[in-house]
Amino acid sequence: MNQETTSESIAKGRTLGAFRCLNCFVRISPPKGATTYKCPHCGFEWRVSWPLPDLPRIRGPVWEVNRRLAEEAIAKKKKGKK
Amino acid sequence: MALNRKIAYINLTTGEIETKPIPLEIRKMFLGGRGLDMYLMYNHIKPGIDPLGPDNVALVSAGLLVGTLASASARTHVAGKSPLTGFVGSTNMGGFFAPEMRWAGFDHLVIKGKAEKPVYLWIHNGEIEIRDGSSIWGKTVQETQEIIREELGDSDVKILTIGIAGENLVRYANVMTELKNAGGRSGMGALLGSKNLKAIAARGTMDIKIAHPSEALEYNRKIIRQITSAKVSQTQGRLGTNFIWGATNTQGLVRVRNFQLNQLEDSDDIEPEKLDEFNIGMTGCFGCQVHCRGKYIIPSGPYAGVYAEGPEYTSIGAWAGEPGCRNPLTILVGNHLVNSYGLDTLETGSMIAWAMELYEEGILTSKDTDGLDLRFGNDEAVIEMVHRIANRKGLGDILAEGPLRAAKKIGKNSIKYSIQVKGMSNLHSDERPTPALALGIATGSRGSDHLRSRPAIDLYHLPEPVLRKIYSQPVPYDGPLSSDYRDYEGKPWQVFWHEMCYEAVDCLGICKYHTTFLGATLPNFEEWSKLLYYNTGLEMSPLDIWTVAERCYNIERLFNIREGLTRKDDWLSDRYFDEPTTVGIPGVRNKTLDREKFKKMIDEYYEHHGWDENGVPRPETLRRLGIDKEPSHML
Repeated sequence: MNQETTSESIAKGRTLGAFRCLNCFVRISPPKGATTYKCPHCGFEWRVSWPLPDLPRIRGPVWEVNRRLAEEAIAKKKKGKK
Repeated sequence: MALNRKIAYINLTTGEIETKPIPLEIRKMFLGGRGLDMYLMYNHIKPGIDPLGPDNVALVSAGLLVGTLASASARTHVAGKSPLTGFVGSTNMGGFFAPEMRWAGFDHLVIKGKAEKPVYLWIHNGEIEIRDGSSIWGKTVQETQEIIREELGDSDVKILTIGIAGENLVRYANVMTELKNAGGRSGMGALLGSKNLKAIAARGTMDIKIAHPSEALEYNRKIIRQITSAKVSQTQGRLGTNFIWGATNTQGLVRVRNFQLNQLEDSDDIEPEKLDEFNIGMTGCFGCQVHCRGKYIIPSGPYAGVYAEGPEYTSIGAWAGEPGCRNPLTILVGNHLVNSYGLDTLETGSMIAWAMELYEEGILTSKDTDGLDLRFGNDEAVIEMVHRIANRKGLGDILAEGPLRAAKKIGKNSIKYSIQVKGMSNLHSDERPTPALALGIATGSRGSDHLRSRPAIDLYHLPEPVLRKIYSQPVPYDGPLSSDYRDYEGKPWQVFWHEMCYEAVDCLGICKYHTTFLGATLPNFEEWSKLLYYNTGLEMSPLDIWTVAERCYNIERLFNIREGLTRKDDWLSDRYFDEPTTVGIPGVRNKTLDREKFKKMIDEYYEHHGWDENGVPRPETLRRLGIDKEPSHML
């Protein structure tokens, strides 16, 4: 009954202080307390938050590119209807 | 003992109440909670009945481990034929009601007929009374609970109730416990409302004897360490489930403006970290250490000073992403209102967003909205529509009918803009770049659903060996698996595996956040086998538990088929296949689902289940699961 379960064995590979870049999926470690961080592998820039002092999480992207794309998509849709 | 709780049959038409023990043989086949409810549902609901008529049956239950030493064993399950979809109706919620019901002596309630006048049930230490509910009819979820506690003179009474939306038969009305534990999806609140059953109150002091107490305590300590050390649990304990919306919006995996965009850009004001500024603390359900439920006080506006709990990530989608709003106050107020009215936040938000797109398309006009400017981004209009839906006023009366009936009433090809499966609106996530998640919502037994089979860890890009470890137990699997969530290969097995995982956890009454849902290192079949043995004395291997899940899921499928479900119901709106995504990280842009590959996924998914090409369970599958002769009437 006391042998290690699959979930417990997987937990051994857990890395604290790091997260996966959501663009290239490489595990990256921002400096402690950093509020933005550019992925050293793919260059995608993230805003970072720290739910706990040693637990970083991607808060969101830097918005400029996405804003432009969203505006283009809505404009294209509206144009298509005219 | 955890196995000696009873089942009660309550006829609201005649007032008759009968109680029976639950045979061990049935326990081993279905465990409890959702599993046993599905068996009862299949047996006690006649085919083709009106889900809002007296022939429908409401089933209320606790999972088998509820109220024991097992961590987060808090879940209440409610089932019946869905007034929204006409298929399986099933909902599962946290809080404290189910443990109290077990301490009062009962695991399952089978509620039939219709009361002549509003009533509530009072369950206490082996007794059940049907009481006059006239003082609580017309009251909000919160008011109802206060009145009942006062009437019974006990502030510790736990209450499951419907709100005004359930009384008004809004087809996606919730059942609720406490302030915000919501039994959403599939309209079980409308089912209770149709029976004039406003609430169920429970209070009990009948201890549950633990089979192996020392071992159960020791093992639970281990489980708690396993759960609380997971990064996902730690984040959830800090930011609530809102972090999920933040993560998926970051990637471009949410639905925005109904289904026009897949990311709400410039959403800094409603990100979890920003909502956290309104948070005054976290709280949790029975036996939970994660505490993912936020508490807040509405800071300004007409509801200033009101205390509420949440919001959950579905509420961010409902009150921000879907209607294209960016005001945190809209989320806080919207969340409070749906919980007071007893409305499904997800369905309500989706219906409003759908109406907004129809308005912008000119299919609905200001005449239809009684002058309300229903354009995207209009926070006031969104909140106003919540009141109208709950009270069935104007356009709200049409939207209260759910996607299919509303689209039929509105006409003008409005169904094209409705993002639903089996008549239930989809979660506010965008599954075009994620075939596994898309398959899950297309095939879910209660309609479009992220809590029936979603392989959420598919988004984590876990290495293939890790995936192999998870998905090769308790049933061996040596087929393909892919770390890339955009792939189609191997995903049907993941969906099947998670279906079994979530079915099992719903039978046991443990929270899904304590299983392999959002975290790869959280417990599943192996741990549950031990928890079952230490707490109840039942010896069941991980494979035995998997088989129970398979059996229960097949009964759900049989129920749906009996109600007319065919393969074409396991499908998504055309927009998933025809309109590509536009924003988000580069990897998710310009994505649609491939029809042919998706069909192949469904074939493969059916094959894993042992179903034929039409999605009908094969005779040998039913034989293997011991349900080949139509599920009998043992209870």
